[in-house]
Amino acid sequence: MPGSLIPLAAYQLVAALLFTIGLVGVLVRRSALIIFMSIELMLNAVNLSFVAFSKQNGQMDGQIFVFFVMSVAAAEVAVGLAILVAIFRNRETANVDDVHLLKG
Amino acid sequence: MTEAVLFTLFSVAAVLFAFNVVFRKNAVHCALHLVGVLLSLSGMFVLLNAQFIAAIQILVYAGAIMVLFLFVVMLLNVKGEVPLLTPGAAKGFGFFFALLGFVELLWIVLSSNGGGEGAPRPAAVLPAGFGSPAEIGRILYSTWLFPFEVTSILLLIAVIGAVVLAKRKFL
Repeated sequence: MPGSLIPLAAYQLVAALLFTIGLVGVLVRRSALIIFMSIELMLNAVNLSFVAFSKQNGQMDGQIFVFFVMSVAAAEVAVGLAILVAIFRNRETANVDDVHLLKG
Repeated sequence: MTEAVLFTLFSVAAVLFAFNVVFRKNAVHCALHLVGVLLSLSGMFVLLNAQFIAAIQILVYAGAIMVLFLFVVMLLNVKGEVPLLTPGAAKGFGFFFALLGFVELLWIVLSSNGGGEGAPRPAAVLPAGFGSPAEIGRILYSTWLFPFEVTSILLLIAVIGAVVLAKRKFL
């Protein structure tokens, strides 16, 4: 198996960029749906990092971790979207700035 | 050479799609651009000898999870947010802290040398069958058997939670 042309740092750089874009989305957008999508973006950036390290070290444990991250993401999306639907049904909004029931 | 071209293509596509996810107005467009990010990342996984992960990335993420997203986007039929971004100082703080986080990540990446001291470590020689479904299954059902079983319970709880939350006369 020939070694990779692309250095590990290049993959890490792309992962860092994607993570940052997702972070901007979480911090700056108002729609809860887009915030969820940004969280998915961040999880995927971390997955890319895991797989890149997995290849660098020649161990497959990183890929197994990606598998677990994916199943946790699936569970999170299912519950999160259910919460979103429940909030929308009661308050007619998906805007995080309008949901401040717990704010004193 | 091919690898470098494909890597550039996938990484540029992923970053551009990601920008569109965050800064598009229409939630359906955001979801479709997120599918683009996921497909680009799946291509990168193939470049990284993770064929099985690339396949389940498309099946689980681009298939199941994104369909769920699109379904909820259309179900809620959210009107276009008039100010797209959160107003006032919070927006500035958001961009500032994201930039700060990116600088930190950059610093870590550029100073880490691939995890070792001194000179960068050469990439390990990959064993035969690296990333194949057979190898993944062998490790998953031996070393990682207990976490795997716990994951099944997690998914069961998520299903029950989603059903309970989506029921009427709750909240």
